[in-house]
Amino acid sequence: MTLGTVHDDLVMVARDFTAHVLVPRSQALDAMRPGVAAAVWRQVAELGLDRALLAEARGGVGLDVGDFLCVLEEVAVGDAGVALEVLLNNTALVSLPAELVADLPEGTRWTVGFAPGPGESPVAGVDLIRDGGSVFLTGRLAAVFGAVGADGTIVTTRQPKPAVIAVSAAAPGLTISAYPLQLGLRAAAAADLIFARVAGAEVPAEGAAVVESRARALVRCGVAAIANGIARRAHEIARDYAHTRIQGGVRLVRHGAIKDMLAGMVVRLHAAAACRLGAAADDPVAALAHKVAASDAAAATTIDAVQLLGGMGYMVDTGVEKLMRDAKYCQLYPERNWLAGAELIDPEGSSSPHRPW
Amino acid sequence: MTRVRSIAGTRARARTYAQRYVAPRAVELDRRIGDDPTYFDWELVTTGLRYRLLSEIIPTQVGGCGGTAVNGAVMLEELAAACPGVANLFGAHALGILPLLLTGPAHWVGVLREIVEAERRGEPLLMGLAITEPDAGTDVEDPDLLRTARIGTRARKVPGGYRLTGTKRFISNGNVARWLTVIMPTDPHRPAETWTAFLVDTRSDGFSVGRIEHKMGQRASPAAELRFDDVFVTDAALIGREGDGLAGTIGTLAASRAPVGAIATGIARGAYERLLAWLETDPQAGELLAHQHVQLTLARMAEDIELARHGYLSAAQRFDKTVGRPLSHPLVRALGMVPPVVWRSERMRRQINAPWVREETMRVLRRATTDREVTESLALSSLAKAHGADVAMAVTGAALDIAGLAAGPVRAELEKLWRDAKLTQIYEGTNQLNRLEVYRGLCRGETLAALPPVGTAAARLGGPT
Repeated sequence: MTLGTVHDDLVMVARDFTAHVLVPRSQALDAMRPGVAAAVWRQVAELGLDRALLAEARGGVGLDVGDFLCVLEEVAVGDAGVALEVLLNNTALVSLPAELVADLPEGTRWTVGFAPGPGESPVAGVDLIRDGGSVFLTGRLAAVFGAVGADGTIVTTRQPKPAVIAVSAAAPGLTISAYPLQLGLRAAAAADLIFARVAGAEVPAEGAAVVESRARALVRCGVAAIANGIARRAHEIARDYAHTRIQGGVRLVRHGAIKDMLAGMVVRLHAAAACRLGAAADDPVAALAHKVAASDAAAATTIDAVQLLGGMGYMVDTGVEKLMRDAKYCQLYPERNWLAGAELIDPEGSSSPHRPW
Repeated sequence: MTRVRSIAGTRARARTYAQRYVAPRAVELDRRIGDDPTYFDWELVTTGLRYRLLSEIIPTQVGGCGGTAVNGAVMLEELAAACPGVANLFGAHALGILPLLLTGPAHWVGVLREIVEAERRGEPLLMGLAITEPDAGTDVEDPDLLRTARIGTRARKVPGGYRLTGTKRFISNGNVARWLTVIMPTDPHRPAETWTAFLVDTRSDGFSVGRIEHKMGQRASPAAELRFDDVFVTDAALIGREGDGLAGTIGTLAASRAPVGAIATGIARGAYERLLAWLETDPQAGELLAHQHVQLTLARMAEDIELARHGYLSAAQRFDKTVGRPLSHPLVRALGMVPPVVWRSERMRRQINAPWVREETMRVLRRATTDREVTESLALSSLAKAHGADVAMAVTGAALDIAGLAAGPVRAELEKLWRDAKLTQIYEGTNQLNRLEVYRGLCRGETLAALPPVGTAAARLGGPT
């Protein structure tokens, strides 16, 4: 079954994919076993998830952003790294110039690298050099998720002015330096991209600001959806364990400390479910607020889930410690939560059309 | 070798070893064991022998350093600041020793002397404590929960000794220890009343190691499943007396939880120091210091670490003044005057292992401290552990937040410490359980039956006298 047009059908397809493809392979994906991520990506492509957001006229499924984020959350319940690859590929495809997308073979995978904004990352960044109608990149982008094995990367910058450049993975001068010690989201294997005057294809300057802003907002909303999926999975595991494990002669769930932790998880899940992520997908500030809230909630839930499982939770077998690692990266990507303040209180941001108050 | 008992001396020895040998290989060791959980770095342990960390808390009477609970905890903070897994390795070794210390000199002249002598020869001899079971984790850490725990192990009395059966799980150092302190009930239906500690030689017939766990962190210290298939131990292998295990466990936890607070403090300190060094030495990273958020976070880290250290030191000092008091009893001190050659005599070793010596040890313990003091010591130790563990998680998490994904090599070190930190909220009883001990012992002023009663085992266990 491939993606249909009805929301519930989409969710069911994604849920089925999660249950039968991702959950059984979650440990292998986390261990970065060779071939597993590529095989899973082929199934992602068969379902059309890889180009779910792309308009039908351009060869995609043409999903509404809200539906896409729901699907993404379902995929993240199975594996957050795969969900991130789906998010980044879709973001890349809707950001690429139409003529480039048309030439991409089926099953191609692209990713997105955000150049740091002011004060974000003092140890990495890229410079653009325009030379006779061509654009070249120099510098370094750190921790680009999904870059290992990707066919190309969309590089977006905000400084000194918005720009969006597509760079093929095979471009001369580009070094992709993988990072084997990646803590979380390991199915989307990250790498540092080192550019030594690498040629790219640029989105026309007049559209770049819109494309950059939309890509940033989409990834923020997508990471929020992924964080929600991580938290759901952690809650499921913790709840099931609490109802089966016996401690002190009674089921774990009968202990007050455990009830407190489970109740906190449920409160956070309800709060997350009430957010209309799709409505924020064209507003980077609203998207950022959602991403901060969702990732902090997922971090709290996963840490409690490991705690609830005790020694079992600390072992890789239950998969719950992996969720804790995945959630931590959601607090750091696409930007660190603590740096969000400057953008959230920006006067331009406060005029967001999506203010709920 | 010099005998160093000062806190500063212990700190200096542990810091030299930790910073010179442990810190430089911590990340690579973690990665290697992540790929292969059965790998154990014997070379790293052997390198540390000259610093006498394996005999830190072993009494001077049998050649150890004679360190107190405070010495042991300070040592672990230093090790944890370099690598929490290595700290846990030495901590688990000390944990195996603690019941031997607290139940009188019966095993001092045997195993403890053997550890010291092996250390002098340059051979690491590790210990561990086996208490957790597949169906009983937190249960076995709490006197009330133990009464209803689903215990799957049993020590069956047979002529001349006991036969041990069942499985223990998540045992730190379990697969690398030469000797284990193993706690099992003699009657699984009455675990609290018959909880008994034994000294087990891991070369015994019927003992085997099962699965080595694949852990999220603290990987330098392996956690193993241990199988006891009718393992025979002699009566002399009893630690304390039959049925004293619950009281022994309370005393051991009073001693062992503050050290976990020390490990947690070391983890937090390790993250704080690495973050600060990166911010101060990397010219571009240093720009982050201009953010008030970063300044306040660093200040909060320093504040939390200082208070966590105060917590574990305070708890360890209380332990030394209460439960540890018998260790300085004149009779115990007098053991140091006995020439070592005397203890090589089998007859003397039988004498010191005699039932009357064990009974006298209980009397000394009861005269030196009270149930109330032990309960308070346990509560303070639990407080230090739970608070320190929360500080470790908060500080390592905040350090990662500040550094971000572009931080370069320091990122791997911080991520490792964050993974390592989580275990401190779980082992030696979950933080929730530890705080319930604080509630009972401090808030409500309850008193546990923390000291073993005086009297014969048969009488205490309700059997024929």
